[in-house]
Amino acid sequence: MSFFSFGQSAEIDVVLNDAETRKKVEHKTEDGKKDKYFLFYDGETVSGKVNVTLKSPGKRFEHQGIKVEFIGQIELYYDRGNHHEFVSLVKDLARPGELTQSQTFDFEFTHVEKPYESYTGQNVKLRYFLRTTISRRMNDISKETDIVVHTLSTYPELNSSIKMEVGIEDCLHIEFEYNKSKYHIKDVIVGKIYFLLVRIKIKHMEIGIIKRETTGTGPNVYHENDTIAKYEIMDGAPVRGESIPIRLFLAGYEMTPTMRDINKKFSVRYYLNLVLIDDEERRYFKQQEITLWRKGDVVRKSMSHQASIASQRFEGLPSGEKPSAQAQEDSN
Amino acid sequence: MPGTQTSPQDEQEKLLEEAVQAVKVQSFQMKRCLDKSKLMDALKHASNMLGELRTSMLSPKSYYELYMAISDELHYLEIFLTDEFAKGRKVTDLYELVQYAGNIIPRLYLLITVGVVYVRSFPQSRKEILKDLVEMCRGVQHPLRGLFLRNYLLQCTRNILPDDGEQLEEEMTGDISDSVDFVLLNFAEMNKLWVRMQHQGHSRDREKRERERQELRILVGTNLVRLSQLEGVNMDKYKEVVLSGILEQVVNCRDPLSQEYLMECIIQVFPDEFHLQTLNLFLRSCADLHQNVNVKNIIIALIDRLALFAHREDGPGIPADLKLFDIFSQQVATVIQSRQDMPAEDVVSLHVSLINLAMKCYPDRVDYVDKVLESTVEIFNKLNLEHVAANSAVSKELMRLLKIPVDSYNNILTILQLKHFHTLFQYFDYKSRKSMSCYMLSNTLDYGTEIVGQDQVETILNLVSTLIQNQPDQPAEDTDPEDFAEEQSLVGRFIHLLHSDDLDQQYLILNTARKHFGAGGNQRIRHTLPPLVFAAYQLAFRYKENSTMDEMWEKKCQKIFSFAHQTITALIKAELAELPLRLFLQGALAAGDIGFENHETMAYEFMSQAFSLYEDEISDSKAQLAAITLIIGTFERTRCFGEENHGPLRTQCALAASKLLKKPDQCRAVSTCAHLFWSGCSTDYNGEEMHDGKRVMECLKKALKIANQCMDPSLQVQLFVETLNRYIYFYQKGNEAVTVQVLNQLIQKIQEDLPNLEASDEMEQINRHFHNTLEHLRLQQEMAAADGPGYEGLAL
Repeated sequence: MSFFSFGQSAEIDVVLNDAETRKKVEHKTEDGKKDKYFLFYDGETVSGKVNVTLKSPGKRFEHQGIKVEFIGQIELYYDRGNHHEFVSLVKDLARPGELTQSQTFDFEFTHVEKPYESYTGQNVKLRYFLRTTISRRMNDISKETDIVVHTLSTYPELNSSIKMEVGIEDCLHIEFEYNKSKYHIKDVIVGKIYFLLVRIKIKHMEIGIIKRETTGTGPNVYHENDTIAKYEIMDGAPVRGESIPIRLFLAGYEMTPTMRDINKKFSVRYYLNLVLIDDEERRYFKQQEITLWRKGDVVRKSMSHQASIASQRFEGLPSGEKPSAQAQEDSN
Repeated sequence: MPGTQTSPQDEQEKLLEEAVQAVKVQSFQMKRCLDKSKLMDALKHASNMLGELRTSMLSPKSYYELYMAISDELHYLEIFLTDEFAKGRKVTDLYELVQYAGNIIPRLYLLITVGVVYVRSFPQSRKEILKDLVEMCRGVQHPLRGLFLRNYLLQCTRNILPDDGEQLEEEMTGDISDSVDFVLLNFAEMNKLWVRMQHQGHSRDREKRERERQELRILVGTNLVRLSQLEGVNMDKYKEVVLSGILEQVVNCRDPLSQEYLMECIIQVFPDEFHLQTLNLFLRSCADLHQNVNVKNIIIALIDRLALFAHREDGPGIPADLKLFDIFSQQVATVIQSRQDMPAEDVVSLHVSLINLAMKCYPDRVDYVDKVLESTVEIFNKLNLEHVAANSAVSKELMRLLKIPVDSYNNILTILQLKHFHTLFQYFDYKSRKSMSCYMLSNTLDYGTEIVGQDQVETILNLVSTLIQNQPDQPAEDTDPEDFAEEQSLVGRFIHLLHSDDLDQQYLILNTARKHFGAGGNQRIRHTLPPLVFAAYQLAFRYKENSTMDEMWEKKCQKIFSFAHQTITALIKAELAELPLRLFLQGALAAGDIGFENHETMAYEFMSQAFSLYEDEISDSKAQLAAITLIIGTFERTRCFGEENHGPLRTQCALAASKLLKKPDQCRAVSTCAHLFWSGCSTDYNGEEMHDGKRVMECLKKALKIANQCMDPSLQVQLFVETLNRYIYFYQKGNEAVTVQVLNQLIQKIQEDLPNLEASDEMEQINRHFHNTLEHLRLQQEMAAADGPGYEGLAL
């Protein structure tokens, strides 16, 4: 912007006070690239310095006031003009006047509320940034500095397993169970599928993770489904009585916590999709929503602990009849 | 169109080649990445390589080849990772990382490979990882792919399974029970997959599938081998956990092919000592197997193994407290009970094995063998089996069953102790009974088993009655005469084994035998009665030897001779002549030699019987000559006749000789008669030979005279030469009526006639005979023994 101005111009540079120690994380931007940003959590103070550097030292620099804002906003891509700010804090750094030399201003937003997680989706973006503005008569000088916010959750108090019997009459009856309904995003899904009746020729079975982003309200609701993971858990046709283990590590996939009705603008939900594919490529599936949450970083695990996590299995038995040791051939 | 279509075999080769090529490419990349320490990339290539195993296009054989190629490459990866870990370059979450592979086949192969590396590097994770691996493999339900995956698991873990006696490292987890659970689970899952294979695909390919299943069975069996290799699987563990675990799976899978193979497998891979302790469990399971399982083979395999074990010299043998036979016979009965449709031959062959067991383990327990036979009879009764046809499977098995005691005891008397042997024997049809009878008699002869009691003889002859008498179920057509003669000669030889040390008993034995043989019919008695007659003569000799002990011996001898007489007469009734004639003559000699009271009368009777046979029954001239020669010879040997009997007999001989039809026969018989007057001997001469030189000369002269009447010149000369020999004999014996002149005359006569004969083989023979005779004389002349007559004037 200063490019267009005549005479004296200034550059803004924002430096966070704890830049040396604060953790940075990768975050996807709208264009799909990944960049590293400082990571903040809800309630943390955001403080730093704004350096205003004059391009031509010694020359007077007039301004109508300098301020820094902390903004959290939601942008819907189909409605670019409208940004919904759910947080907007302002600190005035200087009254209208003039600068004769480069100057540094301290700022601090104490215990800022950051209720939502940063998110870049198909149709929506939720971002936090600091906007520094030097107001001028002709054109303001402004700079936006993005940060990333992660929302941490505590362990869910209630976390029952997901258990369900589904089937097609006289064709296929299965019972599946996932050990939890709520998983943190580095968690492992373990479970098993128990075959009660198999009369179709199953070729294989896979489990998928589907992310569903919902934006808009009322008649203008947009759903965006994205298959994040496709994971084969069974090869070949089982017979009655077989139980097939499921173990799916989530850490390897890019996932956010589940977001429900964020500021009444959008939701991001996750589903486990169990799919059976038969000989003729017909697909039988059942979707179950799971809740994802973010957990604070944990300390590095020991080798054996690591192995035991990597080898956990769901040992529960189906609620129905106890599986007989011997499977019968049901297929014709 | 030929040429454009590829055969299934070519197709397989092509597919396999493509897959192997892909494996080569990926494994090369994998190794390159490993060398550059790009582990993640290496795993990616490994995963790509393993993707080839996802195919459904390959036959089991081709799949196996592909699997082998890949498992070599995985081995490289395993070694590499183990080294890396040993060097301290740890990749902590490797076990997790490999689980991100989206496809289950590559994922699980990698998981197993990495899991093994983990166990090696972090022994504390062993228990958990082993359990995890075997559980996670459930994800592969495709039979062929699942079998190979689990085989890979079994191969990879073979050196890391917890076992007793292993070197304990710190923090090592898992013990033998974990290993057993691990292998048992893997076994059960593999067996299920294997069994399931038969239901895959079209029913028209059923045979092909069965064949393929047979090819793959070793994969399942390897689990059992692994169990048997675990040191910690001791007797108790085997008894309590291992065997019951295996059997549960085997019985429940209800698949005949699997059951048959696995039961055999159990028998083969585990030690005999274990089997001995778990017989009941194992055999009970046999009764629960599928009806189509050839349970017989299984039990037989076990019995044969244990029998061998019991027999082994370096082995400990069967523990004394183990009632091996009882267990088997009880369990075999249960198995048979549980299979109503078991073919009779299988029932019998099970009993064959039982008998083998009894024989090998309890050689002294005849009652065990009998028990087996008894239960066979019972089963036959239950099956309402009346007769088994020769060449039927039952018959063959029954034959095997009954031959075992024969071959093992090598003593027919022991066989007689088996109460049910005879009953079973009667199930055979005629042909089998006969062949079995021959077998038993041959055995008895081979081992020279002497039959010492009358009742034993009775039983045996009843048993082998097909050889002794005609049978109601005998086929109408006659047997091959040669075979018949062979069979009967067995019986004949057998008679010589009837031998009791007690002479009276021996007499009863012979009587019993006589009774049986007597009913044998004309064809048989010619073979069976003569040996009996000889046996009777022999018995008489034994009485004589024993005369000091038995004052009744002479009476008994008479009885024996009238027994012999009767027996011979039976042969005459069978329209035989020459045979009874000989037997009479033999009897005459025997009676004369034994010299019991009335023996002369007996001997005379026998001689006269011989004569009347000669006169009444023998008409063929050759036979006549042979018979009269025999009579003369026999008579010449007798020493028992007084002049009163000797005279008429002598005369009778000479008369008979001169009455022969043909001149040459007359000539020869008459010249033979000459001996009667020389070395013949009647009791009136105090046992001296008669030496009636004049009568000798008369005979010889008469012979020459008859020879002269012969029309055939060469025959004539032959007779002259023969008579010359007689002359020379008597000359040498000192018969003064024979002079050198007589010899010279005869020699001259022959020398004159000989050159006139036509050259022929016959003439050549005569010529040689003559010259040999002259040569003999020449030698005699030279030696001129002091006690013999001189040969002065002999013109040679």
